Amino acid sequence: MDRLIFDAAGLVAIVFAGLMVVGRNPVKSVLSLVVAFFALAVTYVLLLSPFIAALQVIVYAGAILVLFLFVLMLLNVGPEQPDGIRRPIQMGLGSLAVVVFAGLLLGMLRASGSNVSPVPSPTPAAELPDPAALARLLFSDYLLHFEAISVLLLAALVGAFVLARRGEAS
Amino acid sequence: MIGNVPLSDVLLVSGALFAIGIAGALLRRNAIQIFLAIELMMNAANLALLGYGAAMGTREGQILVFFVIAIAAAEASVGLAIFVALFRHTETIDVNKINLLKW
Repeated sequence: MDRLIFDAAGLVAIVFAGLMVVGRNPVKSVLSLVVAFFALAVTYVLLLSPFIAALQVIVYAGAILVLFLFVLMLLNVGPEQPDGIRRPIQMGLGSLAVVVFAGLLLGMLRASGSNVSPVPSPTPAAELPDPAALARLLFSDYLLHFEAISVLLLAALVGAFVLARRGEAS
Repeated sequence: MIGNVPLSDVLLVSGALFAIGIAGALLRRNAIQIFLAIELMMNAANLALLGYGAAMGTREGQILVFFVIAIAAAEASVGLAIFVALFRHTETIDVNKINLLKW
């Protein structure tokens, strides 16, 4: 049952990711990506990560993609117009990437025929609810990383402000 | 429980999403669509991390994904600010028309 739901959600994610890449209209791309991210949140729940699934919906689908949509509408960029130029290098690299990853997928499928059976978690996870256990880990073992991320976020805030400000000179 | 979701399914979905992301980043010309494809690749990596984390019964995968999401937020804000600044200069975000750094 879980596997069925996972595969269905994964399929939805793949289909909408494909739509995102194929479409020429950027607004439609963003909206397809929102659907794909919601489907990915479903798969995260099935992978025992409900907190990350909530983050996916709130931060990714909720904040980041809305920011994309906002900038897109601010700049008012229309759909990409076909310009009739053939791009052999890009097409070649794109198909090469697809071939390489198809090979990778086949290799993984063959390698994981039966022996990568998932270890049923002997978790110390069971005693604490998920976000609490995660927070305990985050604020003990990974405290330094956490602080580094907060400095990074501050730097990004300042950087975005400086970049997007209307310069006095121009 | 991951007991019912084989790791190979997780890796399949993750790999497929990553391939789609690469193709999108190479084929689109609108800078924002390229950026969206990069976000998609990051999510594919997150999926693989969570899959392995769950399969091994640890929480390290979730911690890593937490950091990745935080960095993605920072990256998106700076990247979009660059696009806004670029659009002000050049009136376009078509990457083929932006060649300031070309020799």
